[in-house]
Amino acid sequence: MGRFARVCLCAAMLCCAAQSPRLRQAHPPGLDFQHRNSPTPEKYLIETMGGGVALLDYNNDGLLDIFLVNGGKLPGDFSRRQPPYWNRLYRQNRDGTYTDVTAAAGLANAGDNYGMGVAAADFDNDGFTDLYITNYGRNTLYRNNGNGTFTDVTAQAGVAAGGWSASAGFFDYDNDGRLDLFVTRYLDWDVGRNILCGTPFHAYCRPEKFGGVTNLLFHNEGGGKFRDVTAESGIGKLVGKGLGVAFNDYDGDGFADVFVANDGMQQFLFHNQGNGTFAERALDAGVAFSDDGNAFAGMGVAFADYDNDGRPDIAVTNLALEKYALFHNEGGGQFRYASLSTGLAALTAHSSGWGVGLQDFDNDGWKDLFAAQSHVLDNVEKIQSGLRYLEAPALFRNNRGRFEHSELTGLPAVAGRGAAFGDLNNDGYIDTVVSVLGGPPLVLLNRGGPNHWLTLKLVGTRSNRDGIGAKVRAGNQWAYVTTSGSYLSASDARVHFGLGQAREATVEILWPSGTKQVLERVAADRIVTVKEPE
Amino acid sequence: MTLALLLFLALQVSPELKQHVEAGLAAKRAGDLPGAVREFRRAAELAPDLAAAHVNLGAVYLEQKDYGAAIPEFRRGLQLQPDLPGAEGMLGIALLAQGYAGEAVQHLEKAGAEDALAVALLQSGRAREALDKLEAALQNRPDDPDLLFYLGQAHAQLAKQAFEMLAQHHPESARARQTRGEAHAAAGDREAAARDFAAALAARPDLRGVHLAMGELDLGSGDFEGAEREFRQEARLSPGDALAAYKLGLVLLNRGRTAEALPELQRADALRPGMPETLLELAKAKATAGDPAGAEKLFRQVIEQEKTTKLAQSAHFQLAQIYRKLGRAAEAAREMDLFQELRKR
Repeated sequence: MGRFARVCLCAAMLCCAAQSPRLRQAHPPGLDFQHRNSPTPEKYLIETMGGGVALLDYNNDGLLDIFLVNGGKLPGDFSRRQPPYWNRLYRQNRDGTYTDVTAAAGLANAGDNYGMGVAAADFDNDGFTDLYITNYGRNTLYRNNGNGTFTDVTAQAGVAAGGWSASAGFFDYDNDGRLDLFVTRYLDWDVGRNILCGTPFHAYCRPEKFGGVTNLLFHNEGGGKFRDVTAESGIGKLVGKGLGVAFNDYDGDGFADVFVANDGMQQFLFHNQGNGTFAERALDAGVAFSDDGNAFAGMGVAFADYDNDGRPDIAVTNLALEKYALFHNEGGGQFRYASLSTGLAALTAHSSGWGVGLQDFDNDGWKDLFAAQSHVLDNVEKIQSGLRYLEAPALFRNNRGRFEHSELTGLPAVAGRGAAFGDLNNDGYIDTVVSVLGGPPLVLLNRGGPNHWLTLKLVGTRSNRDGIGAKVRAGNQWAYVTTSGSYLSASDARVHFGLGQAREATVEILWPSGTKQVLERVAADRIVTVKEPE
Repeated sequence: MTLALLLFLALQVSPELKQHVEAGLAAKRAGDLPGAVREFRRAAELAPDLAAAHVNLGAVYLEQKDYGAAIPEFRRGLQLQPDLPGAEGMLGIALLAQGYAGEAVQHLEKAGAEDALAVALLQSGRAREALDKLEAALQNRPDDPDLLFYLGQAHAQLAKQAFEMLAQHHPESARARQTRGEAHAAAGDREAAARDFAAALAARPDLRGVHLAMGELDLGSGDFEGAEREFRQEARLSPGDALAAYKLGLVLLNRGRTAEALPELQRADALRPGMPETLLELAKAKATAGDPAGAEKLFRQVIEQEKTTKLAQSAHFQLAQIYRKLGRAAEAAREMDLFQELRKR
């Protein structure tokens, strides 16, 4: 390396080291959502687990809209026909305000199910993002009609599921160009079999008190229909306590794999065998337990490459004193527990995390880790002094593979649950919306900085239209196109890269169809739509 | 047996008495305790001044755990014949069972029933004397659960007495605040504990053990930064304390500072060799630092010592990771099987 190159590198390091993500709470007019979980003295477990948030551009106007999942009324029939308990869709207006379009969009009256999470993607490849809502009870698939309205197509699609669903996500596991649907389910629990736990203070029961259930996999058959392939795919072989789900191709074989965050038991890593079946390999891969061999309360999950080595890593949020788990992908199908070596353990040991994302908030070229936080027990202070129920969200800046605390000034302590990521104001810096149990969501706008960026909106042709499952490289950074991950939430499908000082980047896209596309010297600071070659 | 002989000596004068006594003994041998009571009670009615008759009846009541009925019979027997063998001991045991520990002491002393006497002494607040007797008894029966239980109680009583005296005579002393802090910490009141510990240190900054306790509080709430600060202070005050070195090493390891953790854990192991918790963390540190052979040796040591505990389980798991990384698949699989086996227990 010549002298000039060394000087440039040092300058870039100084520049990027000085950066710190600047997320600030915003109160956008019109966003008046209030989550209602209806806490009761009976401490029904569902009360403390919801609800999700999605960032999607449902009307293709180039602005991200916000969908929030509500809880329901307890005890009783949940009464979600009443407006205070509806899920809500807020359309973003050009001036950054929001308009509640729930009723106009046909999303009013959420039925008689207690709401949990949301998945968002274009399952029918018509160019409009659809919604799948998970519940305690029947789930709901809303097809986006393309005219600002949605239609409940659950029955025709055959994806109602049942029981207690948590996170869900769309992905194309067989690369046939149609998005399939994975649904995590939590516990074998119902209101009638609720038990009171804890003395002298009643508390929500630990998951060990209830049996587990299987996750579900639905294959998209086309024509608006799905087929339940839970059993034949091998997903149904395992009973778990699933809360979070994320997809990525951890072994680079071209097929999307599935990580399920389980609560209080070993985690699941379903390896896609490329023939329509999955094999659970968490233990062999080294992602089932913490470094001590202890199970932890897996809640949210991010499946992305935090150290720019081209291999996706896994971050799982869990309960206070467990330390968020970070598994570094070592290659060869193996992971290494990296919470200690990256500094994340010490930063998170006192916190409980839910929604989580690995996103480059300061555009320095390294993905930072964001977590929505709060303990699961609303009276944890009485039970274990030193722990807290309400917590502010946390942002851990990635300093070349090592995480550091990043101050998020002025954020309130809340019962954070879901977290969705995307660039709400299209300024090139990633924003976040955190859903809050029993409260209004937190909208965190990124004030930006001097670094450059590039955002890509993929349009699949041979692949699924959202390009979900595509691997995108910009410089030494890799991203995986997905709307899934986090907890109960769905994020913007667009791919975002922080470029630091670079004003352009060469982009390489490996589409799920197998097509490789290279875009030379793409100018920075732009949102670029990339269509898959036919 | 002695009592039966004495009875037979007395029975020479009364065939009816003899008949009831023999029937009572037979019933007792057959396990028919109500029958034995019936016969001995009749014998006591026929010969109310015969001490052995009362004591025999009391002995059956004792066997029935009807201590309230046994006590008057023993008392009557001893009144009639103060040197009646066995009666003092049985009365002492019955009184102890009814909670009259103070009164039981004198009877048990006379009977020379050392084990029961130790318990009676303990329950009548004479923990120091009880301790000596319990320790003597443990020489003969080192694994006796009752003896171990009472020994623990005796130590606890003595400790309580000492702490009460401390609180009474020096309520604001550093040691009193330290003690109160530890009590609050044990009760889960972190804030009160921290207040007392801070007051103790303000009074005596060189007090050993307080920083360790404060570090534990921080560790318990996931505050590794605070824990490191406290454990470091403790290690400075007590450089020869293995526990302080171990805790400091543990926190440093959790903070991702392996190079600093290693010497602390090695120091802990040198100060108190073979402590399995230290060995486990030291092994983890070595594995993280790229010394799989060193780590393997230590994990093996943990397994050797711990066999089936949680520590052994963790060692098997971590060994499996090391073998996997080294490409020793068969050994990795074996260790993972052992880990799974222990997990299921």
